[in-house]
Amino acid sequence: MKVAYYSPLPPSRSGVADYSALLLPALGRRLEVEPVRPGRFRREPKGDVSVYHVGNDPEAHGWILEALRRRPGVVVLHEFVLHHLVAGMTLARGDADGYKDALEREHGLVGRLLAYAVLDNKLPPLWETRPEDFPLAGEVLRLATGLIVHSRFVEERARAAGFDGPIWRIPHPAWPLPAIERAGVEGAPLVGCFGHLNESKRVPQLLEAFARLRASRPGARLLLVGAASRRVADRLAGDGVLREDYVDEPRLWSLMAACDVCVSLRSPTMGETSGSAIRALSLGKPLVVSDVGWFAELPDSVALKAAVDEHEVETIVAALELLAGDEGVRLAMGRAARELVEREHDLERVAELYAAALEEAAGGPAVRDAVLREVAGAAAGVGLRETAELAERLGEVGLGR
Amino acid sequence: MRIAVCRPQVPFAHGGAEIFADRLVAELRAREHDADLVTVPFKWYPGERVLTQAFLWRLLDLEEADGRRIDLVVATKFPSYCVRHPNKVVWLLHQFRQAYELDRTALGQFGEAPEERATRRAVQRLDRVALGEARRVFATSRNVADRLERSTGLRAEVMPHPPQELDYRCDEYGDFVLSVGRLDRAKRVDLILEAVAVDPALRCVVAGDGPDRARLEDVARRHGLDGRVTFAGRVDERELSDLYARCLAVYYAPVDEDFGMVPYEAFLAEKPVITTTDAGGPLEIVADRRTGLVCDPRAAALAEACAWLRGHRDDARAFGRAGRAIAERVSWTETVERLLS
Repeated sequence: MKVAYYSPLPPSRSGVADYSALLLPALGRRLEVEPVRPGRFRREPKGDVSVYHVGNDPEAHGWILEALRRRPGVVVLHEFVLHHLVAGMTLARGDADGYKDALEREHGLVGRLLAYAVLDNKLPPLWETRPEDFPLAGEVLRLATGLIVHSRFVEERARAAGFDGPIWRIPHPAWPLPAIERAGVEGAPLVGCFGHLNESKRVPQLLEAFARLRASRPGARLLLVGAASRRVADRLAGDGVLREDYVDEPRLWSLMAACDVCVSLRSPTMGETSGSAIRALSLGKPLVVSDVGWFAELPDSVALKAAVDEHEVETIVAALELLAGDEGVRLAMGRAARELVEREHDLERVAELYAAALEEAAGGPAVRDAVLREVAGAAAGVGLRETAELAERLGEVGLGR
Repeated sequence: MRIAVCRPQVPFAHGGAEIFADRLVAELRAREHDADLVTVPFKWYPGERVLTQAFLWRLLDLEEADGRRIDLVVATKFPSYCVRHPNKVVWLLHQFRQAYELDRTALGQFGEAPEERATRRAVQRLDRVALGEARRVFATSRNVADRLERSTGLRAEVMPHPPQELDYRCDEYGDFVLSVGRLDRAKRVDLILEAVAVDPALRCVVAGDGPDRARLEDVARRHGLDGRVTFAGRVDERELSDLYARCLAVYYAPVDEDFGMVPYEAFLAEKPVITTTDAGGPLEIVADRRTGLVCDPRAAALAEACAWLRGHRDDARAFGRAGRAIAERVSWTETVERLLS
């Protein structure tokens, strides 16, 4: 079975490009997959099914949404909030009407008025201030014949937004552990935070919590790794804070391996998963996360969760104190993390779930129709008109419409 | 207790699954349970027919019969476990293997067309639902339990069942190797025929019938094995126990078999079992040079194993007796107790 596979791929520096680079070889062992590259004049493959990886970055995903408009298919919804993507494909291209229309389609007249206010600089950009309230996922959901998501969080929002097609929840795959040596970075404990550093990663809160931890544990170090946004770049300093900018993959693993604890905070969440949190789990590192979205769905055995409320900083401090002071807890969480990765995030398992989803998407409707024809034909043949029970029984085993 | 034992019935076919379910009903009745057998014909081809036929089980109402409640349903193999019941226990003989490990092999059923791939996935989904709603799942072997866990994530307790009742005895370690079982490709009877072709001193009796019989007889003819291979067809219990009693050893090496009653039967007749390294379930009780011989799945290796036993009849007897001790540990008393606990 042939699959046309639309995704950013390396050298694009996006999490989804890394994700696809990891998944494609395993998926290619199960299905005939043709990755599609961006380019107006490229030939578009005619697979039995097309799969579109959709995320919030217009540069990485704009061309994929355009392809989805030409031919509906299965969408891998990496995050539910797509406001940035829509703004990038409308406003950034000088299409103010397109942006107003998009907001009106999903939020009615209020949406259009808000768009006017943003365009007239009466309001700060919604994609920076309140994207989670205006996710603008409607067009993608209308075009998708099925959804692949990584979390209940995104699944529930898609259903709440009215999507009634099939949804397959498939965990983020884990990378095979590379042969690496721990970086020579010390700390007692060494706390790591990896990935793009911005306000939604709660960096100010993390810095404050770390300062309090360090008051009682002077040997503690906080390692911040990743490119920083303008808004937080000049605040990434402090006693015991170590800083590395964007690092390549081997260095990332090496630094992470040196950490005692990894922190992956987020708010607001766009419904995304975190590749660095998955890497940390693979390495058996205890996690401290925000109690939101996909992060909240991690088992308690692998992550301590901090609610995003007025006690957030205190909760993070308490979590770090617990992990710093109790090696037994750290080891138990590390074991649970490795078991979780093996059980849920194993690459071959994830690829098999993908293959199942895409095979169901491609042939499932025809199979269900054929079953229904035969069952309905048999019922009609003996004059049975009341078929509610037949429909219920078919639905129970996934053979209903 | 009122118990319905469920199994599909391929019309005109009779093999291990049928013997097992019939016997289970008899054993339950012997323990004063009100047990009965529920069967529905099964045809798994072409196309999506496997789904509509499986769906028949979903429509059965086995919560009560003739105004009296049925306390327990024991389902055995695909698709009988699709039946709905608040107290459903599955004693799994096997899933629909074409949708799993046999897919994309010579024994598979589903091609590469999207509808065929989706039918296979629909069978898998059906399994997850139907087996997932069971109160308890037993598997007849570790091999079956492992396959179930790999394919659905569901865990089963391993519980082998005793073989059919026969007049098991050992009269001699004679001059022929016995092959017992339904004649279809998965049972790999070809291999013993090819071994007979390799070793002019080797003789074999093939007991059983099935869709592959004509082809196997042709293979024997082409190899010029007339006189050294006997196709006994479907034999009655007396003939079968007689063959077990007289043979040198029993050959049983299907491809990745679920469980297989044949090794248990061979052991009860104190006969060693010759199997192959890829036989699956039989390897759980056939240990090389302890209860039989385990060789590579090649005709020459199999011929060599048969020849070795011919020259070492004392070892054949020792292996058979060690096997008997294993087979005798599996009793209906214990298994019925576990099933109903």
